[in-house]
Amino acid sequence: MPSLLIFIPLFGIVILNLPFGKAMRNAAFWFALAVFIVQIVLAITHQPIFWGNEIEQMDAFFRVNFSVDQLSFVMLLCIGLVSLTSLLVMRDTIFDINERFKFINLLMLASMGMSGIVMVTDIFTMYIFLEITAIASFILIAFEKDVYALEGAFKYMVLSALASVLILAATAILLLGAGSASFTAIADAIHRTDNNLIAVAMGLFVCGLLIKGGMVPFHGWLPDAYGAASPAVSVLLAGIVTKAAGIYTLIRALNSILGFDANIKALLLALGTISILVGAFAAIGQKDFKRMLAYSSISQTGYIVLGFGCATPLAIAGAVFHLFNHSIFKSLLFVNSAAVETRLGSTDMDRAGGLAQKMPITGFTSVIGALSAAGIPPLSGFWSKIIIVVALWQAGHTWYAATAIMASIITLAYLLAMQRKVFFGKLALGLEDIEEARLGIRAASVMLAAIIIGFGVLFPSAYAIFIAPIGEMFIK
Amino acid sequence: MMSSVLLALTIPFAASGVVLIIPNKPRALKEMLSLLAAFATLALSLSFYGRPASASFDWAGFGINLSFRVYNFSALLVIATSFFAAMLLMYSCVFMRGRENTKLFYSLILMSVGFVNGGLLADNLICLLFFWEALLFTTYGMIAIGKTNAFKTATKAFIIVGIGDIFMVVGAAICYNLAGTLRISELHIDSIGLGALAFVLLMIGALAKTGSMPFHSWIPDAATDAPLPFMAFAPASLDKVLGIYFLTRISLDIFRLHQESWASYTLMTIGGATIILAVMMALIQKDYKKLLSYHAISQAGYMILGIGSATPAGIVGGIFHMINNALYKSGLFLTAGSMEKQAGTTDLEKLGGMATRMPVTFACFVIMALSISGTPPFNGFFSKELIYDAAIERGTVFYLAAIAGSFLTAASFLKLGHAAFLGKASEIRPNIKEPPIIMLVPMIVITAACVLLGLRSAIPIRLILPVLNGYISAQEPLTDFAPNLSLIAITLVVLTCALLNHILGVIRTGSGLKAVDHIHYAPLLHSIYDKAEKGIFDPYNIGTGLVKIFSVGAAWCDKAIDRVYGSLIPTAAETVSFAIRKIHNGSYKTYILWSLAALFLVIIVMFNGLK
Repeated sequence: MPSLLIFIPLFGIVILNLPFGKAMRNAAFWFALAVFIVQIVLAITHQPIFWGNEIEQMDAFFRVNFSVDQLSFVMLLCIGLVSLTSLLVMRDTIFDINERFKFINLLMLASMGMSGIVMVTDIFTMYIFLEITAIASFILIAFEKDVYALEGAFKYMVLSALASVLILAATAILLLGAGSASFTAIADAIHRTDNNLIAVAMGLFVCGLLIKGGMVPFHGWLPDAYGAASPAVSVLLAGIVTKAAGIYTLIRALNSILGFDANIKALLLALGTISILVGAFAAIGQKDFKRMLAYSSISQTGYIVLGFGCATPLAIAGAVFHLFNHSIFKSLLFVNSAAVETRLGSTDMDRAGGLAQKMPITGFTSVIGALSAAGIPPLSGFWSKIIIVVALWQAGHTWYAATAIMASIITLAYLLAMQRKVFFGKLALGLEDIEEARLGIRAASVMLAAIIIGFGVLFPSAYAIFIAPIGEMFIK
Repeated sequence: MMSSVLLALTIPFAASGVVLIIPNKPRALKEMLSLLAAFATLALSLSFYGRPASASFDWAGFGINLSFRVYNFSALLVIATSFFAAMLLMYSCVFMRGRENTKLFYSLILMSVGFVNGGLLADNLICLLFFWEALLFTTYGMIAIGKTNAFKTATKAFIIVGIGDIFMVVGAAICYNLAGTLRISELHIDSIGLGALAFVLLMIGALAKTGSMPFHSWIPDAATDAPLPFMAFAPASLDKVLGIYFLTRISLDIFRLHQESWASYTLMTIGGATIILAVMMALIQKDYKKLLSYHAISQAGYMILGIGSATPAGIVGGIFHMINNALYKSGLFLTAGSMEKQAGTTDLEKLGGMATRMPVTFACFVIMALSISGTPPFNGFFSKELIYDAAIERGTVFYLAAIAGSFLTAASFLKLGHAAFLGKASEIRPNIKEPPIIMLVPMIVITAACVLLGLRSAIPIRLILPVLNGYISAQEPLTDFAPNLSLIAITLVVLTCALLNHILGVIRTGSGLKAVDHIHYAPLLHSIYDKAEKGIFDPYNIGTGLVKIFSVGAAWCDKAIDRVYGSLIPTAAETVSFAIRKIHNGSYKTYILWSLAALFLVIIVMFNGLK
């Protein structure tokens, strides 16, 4: 049954593209909306009838097993929420019906690819879904066909190609060693042999995933791609694509395939800290709203990887919770930037000013998003950061914990600077006739802000239901 | 029984909420509703007496729960609270007409009743603190409703009482630490070491609520700024009820105050000083309400003196006096309200000859003034005699303070009555007459209660006596307090002296208002009075002055720190940020090179580990 999440969008796209005329193109929006909402509801309710972990065979040659655990649920929820947000933003930024139709096709393809990534149980199928997601993303970034969009898409494509090579090479080596592509078989093989080549494969695999996740120093493509993409695509990329393709796969690989090798842990701690610092410092000086958010994204992803590097159950639970929170608050901030972009025509922060007077909903929700990103209680971002910091402290990584706290001050600094430049203060000249963003963007930002506040205030129960089971998965 | 305990809170709270949301018109609707709720609470609380009960609900964990306990003492005081609330709401119905924010005022009064009842019935320290602190907000709100700039006074009250509350919170924390329980009925702590500190902290909280010195200075300010029913409600009755209740509980049940302990002497000293200093200030006031407000402070001194004496007579006297004071002090404030409503002013220089215009108000005033001065056979006489009895047992100096306070009280009320009701009829407003009957009824009921409690003083004393259970050992008789005839004689002599003093003063100056000028302008006192009038001795002013000095220093430090944060750190961050932005040159070749270089590093690390 979980494979329905793959098949329904897939066949949906096929049917929508049959030459039945305009009606299908109009229906595409509602179809996509329904698919995402169903995915969100299924992920929240954990319907056992739907998620029963039976093995499904696509055909005799090519076996694909899907299985869903607590971690996948969180990811499926994020995928549904962010795709829904992207769809809503699209509604208010792309108006031509043919363009819309193309966009929806690609969005559903990307979303389906990510759902596949988080449910597969063998390494080769994971690679296929990674590629599906990546290719849909390239086209989405280039969607506006201007020179910046093409440049951003090109850089992403080049570095993604490098990542694909690394992942494929690692897959080949592991396949040779284990004789099977399934996670459990490879994990067994790694456990049994003491081959140096396995270590190389691990290194290649992790590096490939880190490129996909945009960690420093593999991050070069990320600010250009996020900054150049159209608003709806930035939301999707920053909110979930890099997280599902790079970060989820990393923790899945560590837990199910590679094991928490001491070298990898040390590496992740170091890379996480570097990412936090480089991303935060680079974000300070940015003049463009979206580029600033892109660097901030690198910095926040650093926290998640830092949690993985610590590798205690608490740290991993905190990291996954931060992944969820990051999806929500970064999407929210990108939705806010979309609101500014649609009304102002640019995301140059120096041109904006005092927009909160004219766009109260956007202004308010951006404050919620920024404070959650900076880790201010009682918003949900606070809880995940504090869990990561506490876990680092308990594990004896005192300096990493201190750095994480210090960097969250920098986070607050650049996000507050953004608030001051864009939303607070006096209304900038020439903006007297600005209006609040359109309905879809407003609805998306209110929904995400409500999630941030809700998860923050109801943290104890959210933690018990959603997050703590993830930590328990990793006790071995 | 469980649910009815909660009703003492829920009825006022619910009514308070409803009053706030119902429409402004018709006016009578919210008045009737508030009155109904107040009388319902009164009827309910009457049913509490003699039926001990308890109820407990889980709340926050860690031993913090909403637990309530009804027993004779708390039941008695809940009756008193509900009685005052009903009387004052009835009075306010007419008095507050034509003012703004009446809806909010009724709502706040009802809410305060709920909080006070909650505080009296609470059997958990945290629960009690919750209701206790909540009163801060209603107090703030009710004062701020008054004149346009009353919020300043409201802030003053908030800060002064709030500081007391902070001490109390710390005291409660120490109690929990020492005893391991938050249930008040199970708390028993020796007042040595940390226990002594806890006692002092809790005592400060109780004294601040009672309004004794040095936590008094907001009360006279509130007298001029806050709506008058508030004065009759909070500083005159409910604050005293709650403060003295808690002082009694900590002195008797939790810490077992001993007669020869330093804590007992401290309490008695505070009580004595409060009596004298506040009444001295009352003596020279030229405003009806302000004069009364200083008496509200001074009378608190008697109660603290009585309870601090740690003798049976003193404790019973202190509690009895608290109830008496709540009666006549709120009643006296109501007469001031009649004056304000009908004559338009409470300035004694403008008033005069009101006795013929408002005979009922005058009669009530006379009885309650006699009562507060401790004249037999009214209620104030009996409670004061008990306190004198206790004071002389513990030290002559305390007795002297108490009796001197009595003299000055009598003198100031002679002056007040003379200036307001007798003498030349003033013509500030034509056709001044009695206030409406609805305002008179509460006054008359309260006056009647004063007389009744005086004539049948044995009944209230018998009701209060069980408070001593468990504190005084069973051997000592708890039934009777033999009247000390020589003390009564002295009291009568002192009161006569006060009368003679007044007559002499009137003859000397020819005016009731200036009857005590010979004390006011006595050589040394004169300069002290001048300074006190300017607020130089006001602990609040001294405190705010100190805070100002501190804040100048802090601002200076802050500037230095600001320089570090304002220029040093941003410059450093900007430099790093600039360098990082520079190396992101936008060329995909660079980025691929970074990635490949990192890849090789990673593979080396995978082989050798990070060293």
